[in-house]
Amino acid sequence: MASSKSKSVTFDNIVKIFRDPQSGQDVTAVGGVSFTIEPGELVTLLGPSGCGKSTILRMLSGFEQPTSGRILIGDNDVTQTPPNKRDTAMVFQSYGLFPHMNVAENVAYGLKLRKMPANEIAEKVQRFLEMVGLGQMGKRPPSRLSGGQQQRVALARSLIVEPSVLLLDEPLSNLDALLREQMRVEIRRLQKSLGITAMYVTHDRVEAMSLSDRIIVMKLGNIIQIGTPSDIYRDPVDTFVAGFVGKVAFFPCEVKSIDSGCHVEVKGQGFTAPRWSDKLKAGDKALVMARPESLSIGEAGAGVEDGVVTANIYLGNSVETWVHTDLGNVLVQIDNPDVKKIWDEGSTVSLSFDPALTKVLVDDLEKA
Amino acid sequence: MKKRIINFLLMMIFIIIVGGWIYTSVRDEFLKQSRAAQRRTVETVAAGYPSGDDEIGEWLKRLAEDANDYRVALVPEIPMPGEKLEVPPRGDAELSKLTEDSASDPEFSKGFDNAAYEEIYRSAKTWTVGTQEEQALFFAPAVDLRTHDIEGALVFSFSTEGEQGFMRMMNTLFAAAFILFAVVIWQMMLSRDPIVGFALAGLFLMTITFVAYPLFEALRLSFMENGKFSLAVWRTILNSEGYMSALWGSLKLGCWTATFSTLVGFLFAFVVSRTNAPCKKLISTMGVLPVISPPFSLTLSIILLFGNNGLITRWLRVIGLDFSIYGLPGLVIVQTMGMFPIAFLTLGGVLQAIDSTYEEASLNLSAGRFKTFSSITLPLAVPGLLSAWLLVFTTSLADFANPLLLAGDLKVLSLESYIEVTGMNRLGHGAALSILLLLPTLTAFLAQRFWVAKRSYVTVTGKPSGRITELTTPTVRRILTGIIFVIVFFLIMLYGTIFAGCFVKNWGIDYTFSLENITEAITRSRDALFDTVTLAAIATPIAGIIAMIAALLIVRRKFHGKKLLEMLLMTPFALPGTLLGISYILAFNHAPIILVGTAAIIVINYVIRELPVGIEGGIASLRQIDPSIEEAATDLGADQAMVFRSIVLPLVRPAFLSSLSYTFVRSMTAVSAVIFLISARWYHITVLIYNFSENLRFGLASVLSTVLIIIVFGAFGIMRLIVRENSNLMKNVT
Repeated sequence: MASSKSKSVTFDNIVKIFRDPQSGQDVTAVGGVSFTIEPGELVTLLGPSGCGKSTILRMLSGFEQPTSGRILIGDNDVTQTPPNKRDTAMVFQSYGLFPHMNVAENVAYGLKLRKMPANEIAEKVQRFLEMVGLGQMGKRPPSRLSGGQQQRVALARSLIVEPSVLLLDEPLSNLDALLREQMRVEIRRLQKSLGITAMYVTHDRVEAMSLSDRIIVMKLGNIIQIGTPSDIYRDPVDTFVAGFVGKVAFFPCEVKSIDSGCHVEVKGQGFTAPRWSDKLKAGDKALVMARPESLSIGEAGAGVEDGVVTANIYLGNSVETWVHTDLGNVLVQIDNPDVKKIWDEGSTVSLSFDPALTKVLVDDLEKA
Repeated sequence: MKKRIINFLLMMIFIIIVGGWIYTSVRDEFLKQSRAAQRRTVETVAAGYPSGDDEIGEWLKRLAEDANDYRVALVPEIPMPGEKLEVPPRGDAELSKLTEDSASDPEFSKGFDNAAYEEIYRSAKTWTVGTQEEQALFFAPAVDLRTHDIEGALVFSFSTEGEQGFMRMMNTLFAAAFILFAVVIWQMMLSRDPIVGFALAGLFLMTITFVAYPLFEALRLSFMENGKFSLAVWRTILNSEGYMSALWGSLKLGCWTATFSTLVGFLFAFVVSRTNAPCKKLISTMGVLPVISPPFSLTLSIILLFGNNGLITRWLRVIGLDFSIYGLPGLVIVQTMGMFPIAFLTLGGVLQAIDSTYEEASLNLSAGRFKTFSSITLPLAVPGLLSAWLLVFTTSLADFANPLLLAGDLKVLSLESYIEVTGMNRLGHGAALSILLLLPTLTAFLAQRFWVAKRSYVTVTGKPSGRITELTTPTVRRILTGIIFVIVFFLIMLYGTIFAGCFVKNWGIDYTFSLENITEAITRSRDALFDTVTLAAIATPIAGIIAMIAALLIVRRKFHGKKLLEMLLMTPFALPGTLLGISYILAFNHAPIILVGTAAIIVINYVIRELPVGIEGGIASLRQIDPSIEEAATDLGADQAMVFRSIVLPLVRPAFLSSLSYTFVRSMTAVSAVIFLISARWYHITVLIYNFSENLRFGLASVLSTVLIIIVFGAFGIMRLIVRENSNLMKNVT
């Protein structure tokens, strides 16, 4: 539910080349990226550090200038617009609160720049502080707040100017696990209720999955995949995405034929996978991707791959069993452990997977 | 981008055309006016040409006396074109000579021709009349008043100096305007944040004009003789025994002072940071105090006590001791007293940063206290000791105020260059000598900065534990503390003497109590004091703001030529004040920038000299501030100026305030550079103190020194009060 003010964001073939100050050589941080964020949508840039996701965010906020390409907010080309003239508001990883101002003054800063009358500012600041649960904290200096409270102040300070686009640069990475989960829900709630377009940068897949309408997975300055969290999880385009967004096991296979399903053979057993990579054709060596929850453990020799149980981790609603095989260490998730068999550490077992939950991918593990 | 560069170039071409058109029309109009005025003068004078030989002689004589902007010669008979004169010209001798010599010149023939037709003619080119170059010549008919016959021709010469001065001014103005336009348009059209561009352009322009250009002028002049390139100055200096002994004297003084200061500084630092001696607060305060005491004050009290008529000298004479404080030993004492705080501050920092866990480990491994000191503490402090030595050495070499009063027969370079400039009026020699002084200063400075500072062990240790490991036995501690108290007592005595000097009728002769000196000093110094405070007060905020802007750009911005800009900004820190002063009078007493004698040159000098310290402070405190704080402000819509005003400045306030007070105090107590730059209108109180001391008016000098000390301590006190209040608020800047 996009509010009337929220706008779309378009990146049109954006390239960013930095010059390395030491070697004097050009380094491509972002290599020709195009995508669109719809009004009111929250899109996450996900990728390992150095993949260019923060550079994209900083180009959208205006702190970096693209080497080529166009950036549009709504229908406006903002490529040449300086950051202070852009209708974006950023929440920084280190919060960037003004230490010489109290909480209320921090939140009011953007409104003062917009020359809003003082009484209106006071009223609005109070409203937003209450919205983030800090109604009583206005007079405090930021240094006397906890990390989570500081983050809320930063959020309120960005939201109060009613930006067209909200930018969040790994905003939760300095918080402890419990607080992080809480803030995740909070940010999502605020973003949805205000109907604001948002771009979120993180390297934490759980954060990306739980927050986003869509996720953009990046690697080495390029977009690898754009999709909803479930698309990315169930239907990754390659082994990199598959591995980055969750635990995964790969079983070498040979593609037999492709019609409405992809028919493969793993160690002489035939399976049909509902999803497969477009580039595959009959006769290719490929990989069957299986998530921990689609794997099961049976007697040795019964499945597609034998191995030895090395650890059982009890998590209450499930047990994670690590099995050492020739393919590496594989994680198997056993749900409802109280009614299932748990194999002792050291026992030799066999792995099998549920073909309906798998995808067949091009074998690019050597290169990666 | 390409399109915008083309736009920029088109704009520039447009400006060149319009500017050129304005330029030529203004110039032509001016020349027309000025020549028309000269022509009118010629007409009027020629109209008064009398008849009769005697009257003509009388008339010419009167003209020579009255006229001040032209000269006249009379050619009694107009010669045929291309032929020589038959009758020699009369009137101005030099002009007559030129006329006689060049009568057959086509220009002269043309002039005579015109005169014969009763026309006035202005020569197309300029001539040299006697010693005056670039003279414009006018030819007019000499018409007999009664007969109306053309008897001869009158030759007038006018100086074109005014015209040329005007042209030079026009050229400078237009060049400056063009550069300004180019920068403004470049920024407006090509830069995303023009303010940063303007700030950078301003800083580059400032440093090139007020750092690079004067130094270049000084260097150039030391290679000039009679307007031509020559090594004569350097040859004289390097071959002269006197100058070489001055170099030697400076080095000797520097070595002695540096050695003693380092020893005293280390003693203070060691006792404060490594022992449980009493009165540490007093020791630290007295160990820092002299660094901000005004110039001349310690020298003055040394003279009052140990000078030829000094209080203590008298007593010592009674018991048969005769000595002179003037010369090397006296200077070493005074400089050591004034400069050991530099060593103390450096070494104090170093010793405090050396974790005393090392010493505890050594003691724990059953090494003795002395063994621990000599094998652990001392080796760890070696880079600090070197650093301190080099810093004091540099300061001593550049010192000007103390040798000025106390050098006696000892020659030092800073003083010699001053004497060359003010006493002998040999600017080239002065410049060369101060450049010579720069060599050891710069070497020591660079060695300290890039070699010793990098070898410090301080950075590898963790947090200082804050505990003190007692490294001395009670006896040793008592001896060390005893020495320190002797030095502290000596310092207090020196300051006390200045204070006492204010209330004594005539020091050395008549020790009765009197307030005469105070009233006289106040009346005589009122103007100078007012000037000094005014100029320092003007320079202070300018230097403070520029320093913060420069620090911000250096820390936060990427731009081409950053290293160059840093170097230009930091250079004045390593320059001896005398060199800076001399290069300023050399560079700014002629076109295109004439500032000598104005208040501006003094203010600019203060700003340029004190910038480096402010910038260093600004850089240090900006590095502590998370860049995302500024980015957050920008992101919320603040432009560069707003971010600077509302975020950066409040956050660096402590550094900003201390750079302000530092600049103010240093400007109030400047001598070495400012002594060259003062004028009858703008005087400096330290120079007044020097003049009083030179004339043996020690009472007056004492009063002014006391006033300065009060102002300086007051400024520092106020600053510390504000900063302390502030720092309570500002903890946890992350």
